[in-house]
Amino acid sequence: MVRTSSPRKPRARRFGLGALSLGALSLVAAACGSSSSSSTSSSSTSSSAPSQITIGTAYASSGSFATSSVPELDGLKLWISLENAKGGVYVGAYHKRIPVKLIALNDQSNPSTAGVLYNQLITQDKVNILVADFGSVLTAPAVTIAQAHHYLLFDQSGTGIPFFTPGNPYIVLCDLPVSSIWPDPLANFIIDHHIKNVAIVYGGNDFDGSQAETLHAKLMAAGVHLVAYEEVPTSTSSYSTIISSLAAQHPGAVLELGYQPNDTAFLQQLESSGVHFPMVFTVFPGQLLSLFESQLGKAGLQYTFTYGTNFFNTYTNVSEGLPTKAFLAKLSATYPSAVNTLGLLGYNTGLVIEAALRNATSLSQLALRNALTEVSGHLTTVDGTFAINSEGAQVGELLPLAQLFPGSGNTVELKPVTPPAPSIASAVYPAP
Amino acid sequence: MLALFALVGGLLLGCFYALFAMGLNLIFGVQRIINLAHGDVVMLGGFLTWDLYEGFHVSPILSALVALPLGIAVGFLFHRLVLPRLDRARDVETMSLVLFFGISQVIEALGAIGFGPNERSLPTNAIPSHPIRFLGETFPAYLFVVAAVAVPLLALFVLYLYRTPLGLQTRAVMADPREAQAVGINTRRIAAITFGVGTALAAAAGALAIIVLSGVQPSEGADLTIIAFAIIVFGSLGNPIGTIVAGLIFGVLSQLAQVYLPAWSNLVPYVLVLGTMLLRPEGLFGRRTRVA
Repeated sequence: MVRTSSPRKPRARRFGLGALSLGALSLVAAACGSSSSSSTSSSSTSSSAPSQITIGTAYASSGSFATSSVPELDGLKLWISLENAKGGVYVGAYHKRIPVKLIALNDQSNPSTAGVLYNQLITQDKVNILVADFGSVLTAPAVTIAQAHHYLLFDQSGTGIPFFTPGNPYIVLCDLPVSSIWPDPLANFIIDHHIKNVAIVYGGNDFDGSQAETLHAKLMAAGVHLVAYEEVPTSTSSYSTIISSLAAQHPGAVLELGYQPNDTAFLQQLESSGVHFPMVFTVFPGQLLSLFESQLGKAGLQYTFTYGTNFFNTYTNVSEGLPTKAFLAKLSATYPSAVNTLGLLGYNTGLVIEAALRNATSLSQLALRNALTEVSGHLTTVDGTFAINSEGAQVGELLPLAQLFPGSGNTVELKPVTPPAPSIASAVYPAP
Repeated sequence: MLALFALVGGLLLGCFYALFAMGLNLIFGVQRIINLAHGDVVMLGGFLTWDLYEGFHVSPILSALVALPLGIAVGFLFHRLVLPRLDRARDVETMSLVLFFGISQVIEALGAIGFGPNERSLPTNAIPSHPIRFLGETFPAYLFVVAAVAVPLLALFVLYLYRTPLGLQTRAVMADPREAQAVGINTRRIAAITFGVGTALAAAAGALAIIVLSGVQPSEGADLTIIAFAIIVFGSLGNPIGTIVAGLIFGVLSQLAQVYLPAWSNLVPYVLVLGTMLLRPEGLFGRRTRVA
């Protein structure tokens, strides 16, 4: 019997071929594998860059928040148009510019609708970047949805304290200081001026509630007596009885914490009531000054207090985006109705997105978040210095307390009366 | 005293609420139509007032009067063009809900497109604004101005309903449309006229609403309709006098809630409806509904 081949050789060949195939398969599988912490659309472990960066957001074209939401969206759209004019936003992970596409869905100022839309942007549209609508009421639905889907939420102006919790890296407050520090200048002003009796009326929502909570804690700790601490529904438009009730307490300062419709109603009804308080503070005149001037005029606004905003500051040295004058010129030319604080906030959101994309090592949501942690404290824009804490809350972009002084004609001038501000005016207290 | 302020202020505001809800009640009483677009008509009245003031410095008080004939004309024409089909439905009440819900959405959308997203407010000096001292309390003038416009309009309406032949025919149709038709009343003509009157009352209330609510915006219609609905249910559906009393009570309750339970004050209309349904479903004034 003649042996023509050893039985071991074919087996060894088969083993070698098998091992080689297995190894090749493993390499291919590793190359195709996706990150466990990001959605399919935002994964960057594939070797090719996406053809576009999709930004998804909700906005309110009608309802009580439309006055603020629409210009904020316009500011974001301005940033997008400026970046696309350069060929797109620079994405560091791919070392190239990629065009930006915006998907903006109308929530009609309805938080329930906003929640549905945020979910759609994530699960159906699979956006790369998720941006919240204006304010805490319309941001609140997005916080839990984004966290559940492991999407980083670019929170534009929702400063409510409950949004920022340890262990949730999926939120970053872009444009305004968090409400646990935002009211500090107001509280310090009251304490420094030895105003003993203070009345606080606030809307029943995350933003106003957080502001009120912060003020309550600081003022009580300083020995200031709160003669009233009343929560009212966010939709309140009738303040006459409340004003009469406050007047009976003879407060040294009345702080009305609400949204624009609340502030307008309160100031109008205060003016027509004939009641005079030594100090009146409302939130939104500083953000929508021309609107309030048209509604209330000099008589209704003069000597009231409000938050100053960076819209009234001039930043010439910025590390991202346009300096103030150039930004205002572009905004006036492109979105003239958005030339206010909200337009600036929306544009700043775009700059924060730009910084995240530039510095992130990939398009995964956590990579974007880590990038923003890296640039925190070093990013200066038309909205001041971007700085976030470990929970994603904005602790930079600090704003002063401001007072509205009589101007020419039927206008008022907003002047900061506390730091931080380039120049500080002397506050008039009590109001004449 | 705060309670006195709330009581007087509530009664003054209640005059506005009575006028505001009357149009909805009238239309329901005659045609059993639930006009879900009622609040949107009020909204349009508010924008008309704003436009007239901004363009021609027309006082809101005059605008309320301007809104009346416009409302009658628009309502009458709308009824003639759209509602005959509704009359042929087997279940008019249910179909009216669907129809007017759609109309409400259309009006809101067109309003947002036409007027933009910003809330529009009148300056404080658009109406007399000096505070008024009454019973030892100081009241903002707008409360008295609103009541001073609403009360004569309500009085005119009551006179129309109870002292004119047309009003008599209207009440006959409200009591029993078939019997009214049997005695020769042109129920379709009455229904169209009533729809016009109801629309006019809503539009006139809109001129006051922009003052009471410190502004007008396209999306406010739905919330206003809910308040109007609560008032007419509480006062007895189809009963105009019931609506007047219910409006006054609603005004007082909402102001008292602001004093003693401000965080819950926006629940007043819902509590009214629930309470009425549970405790006295026929409303304040009725053993029978739709009795004028």
